[in-house]
Amino acid sequence: MKIDESLHWILSFYRTSEISGALFFGELARSLRPSAIQQDMTRQFADEANHARYWTDCLAKLGVEPLKLPTAYQNQYLAAAGMPTNLMEILAITQVFEKRVVSQYTLHAKSPNVPDIVGETIETIMKDEKWHIEWIRDALKDMETEYGADNIKDTLKRFTLADREVYQKTTLEHQERIGDLRLARR
Amino acid sequence: MSNKERVRDKIAEILGHTSQIVVDDVVLTDLVNSSFLLVELVIELQEEFDVRFQQVDMNEVATVGQLLDLVDSRMGENSPG
Repeated sequence: MKIDESLHWILSFYRTSEISGALFFGELARSLRPSAIQQDMTRQFADEANHARYWTDCLAKLGVEPLKLPTAYQNQYLAAAGMPTNLMEILAITQVFEKRVVSQYTLHAKSPNVPDIVGETIETIMKDEKWHIEWIRDALKDMETEYGADNIKDTLKRFTLADREVYQKTTLEHQERIGDLRLARR
Repeated sequence: MSNKERVRDKIAEILGHTSQIVVDDVVLTDLVNSSFLLVELVIELQEEFDVRFQQVDMNEVATVGQLLDLVDSRMGENSPG
């Protein structure tokens, strides 16, 4: 089975993004002191690495090799939102990003003519993604004493605005490739 | 060894450089090849030296020397007495 160029690019994009997430959380987990956050971050690091593997397997079943893409989506977040400089800001930007991931995968699953293997891969990944949002939400709640509830709320708002900017930029840049997904939203 | 030298050694260790390369005038973005690595560096320094930064603090930091000053000043705030 051969897939069209747009789907090939999108699935490779997901894979690159998951690899970047795994590497980032792996390095962070190594930096942190032993704690509940470190444990959850280690699990998330493992999840992201597995997601990349699922996309690699999915692409193989569709008869293609993954494309090597130059820049991960997450890099653009840092440019738009500014560098997160403490653990609370890292979790806040991750929370916003994870919500975007869930939204994107949901959109993709609902789009027309999704191959079964792609739908199954998204369904598997979504189970982990929901847990990612939950553990980060709980960790941010626990951080309110140290960082302040208003500060956390403002940080989430700032990163949410950056997320919208980056997503709009990405959809415009790759309009031809993700056109089917945008149609599915209507 | 002064706090600043300890921080300099730690930066060198994290980035895999020698301390001789991590001199005050060097711009941080010239030492790291990705934004993610810079984030990791900043988080690891906070963990190692038990200090906290906000984004506004980092807006003022461009060079190794400015980062050393920031960490050193925060360590001073945490000192007893």
